[in-house]
This record gives sequence, structure tokens and C-alpha cells, in this order.
Amino acid sequence: MKQNTFYLLVGVVGLVEVGLFMISVSLHNPLIIMAGFIMGAGLVYVSRLMVTDIREDERSRLITQKAGLRTLEVFWIIFFAVSLGTAVIGFSTPLGIPRPREFPHDFPRDQPYLGYFGILQMILLCCIAFLYIAFRIYYARRYGEWDTDEE
Amino acid sequence: MKNKIKVYRAMRDLTQEALAQELKVTRQTILAIEKGKYDPSLELAFKIARFFGVPIEEIFTYE
Repeated sequence: MKQNTFYLLVGVVGLVEVGLFMISVSLHNPLIIMAGFIMGAGLVYVSRLMVTDIREDERSRLITQKAGLRTLEVFWIIFFAVSLGTAVIGFSTPLGIPRPREFPHDFPRDQPYLGYFGILQMILLCCIAFLYIAFRIYYARRYGEWDTDEE
Repeated sequence: MKNKIKVYRAMRDLTQEALAQELKVTRQTILAIEKGKYDPSLELAFKIARFFGVPIEEIFTYE
């Protein structure tokens, strides 16, 4: 498979995912988008293995590994801290600990309500992508990805 | 780590792209090694030395 064909396939998978998301929302069925997303990601990973005209070597693999590792190192700490905060809210009520103040209950029912943790989780998921790109750029520069040289 | 890849490449009149193709790596990798920004794995270092037909310590020196 050519690299351009692969990018085209990724685009098509992305569009299908958007369609599945809409169907999932309209049918009130989260399983459709969850299963669709896993299958889509699997399809992209499998088809990436079939790309023939891409040259990957030990340096580019090292850049990817280092960027991935650093992203994970930073992300798990933030995510764990947020999860701990959520656990505090979750456990305090059953233990009978009174809340310092009441949470607002006047959320409009006809609008999407994800909860505080849901919104924070989505923000963090967006941040992880930017974090990975930042680390990728940093290591790519460090290992001379965009250097030019006289022959 | 210092290396003499550029010297040996010049002696053979090879471009970075040609050497990269022979060693099955990218041109950027050859460039990064030559500039000292990336230390190759032992396997790649041996491949480079074998390609030029010299001992590995002739091309790579640790300092």
C-alpha cells in the first residue's frame, strides 16, 4: 500500500467515525461508537503495517519511543491527580462526610451534561495529543530531523 | 562520540542519500550521525564499518 493511500484510508475512517458518533447519539447507544472506534483504530494500525514506501529506521523509532514515553510520564501523573480528586468527591458522600457547599443542581436537562470529571477528561485527552506533538518536535530537533547539510 | 563517516563518504564519493540506501536508513540518520547529534546503535555502527571495510574503531572514537 502506498503512503498516500494510507492517508486517504485514515481520512475515510475518520469520516466513518463521525458518522458512527452521530448514529450513536441519535440511538442513545454508546456501544456503537465505542466498538466503531476500536475497530477503526485497529484498521489504521493494521494498514500502517502494509505501507511499503515509508522508510523508518532506528533513529525515527527512537524519537517516537522517547516522545511516547515522556508523554506517558507527564500524562499519568496529571490524570492520576485528577482521578484522585474525583475519588475524594465520590467517597466523601458514602462516608457521611458533609460537603463544604452544595454542588449546583440546576443543570439544564435538555443540554448535554458530562459532569465535571467528564469535561476534564476530554480536555486532558486533547492535551495529551498536543503534549505528544510537542515532545515529538523536541526530540526530532534534538536528533537532527530537519537539519540540512551540504553534500 | 566522534566519527569519520563524512571523510570515508567523501573518499568513496558517496552522497548521504546513497549511503543511507546502502545501510537501509534515512538520509537524516546519516546526517544526524555525521553531525554528532545521534549515536548509532552497535548494529548500525558495525554495518557502517563493514560497508567501508574498516574496523569500527577506525570510524567511531569515544571521547
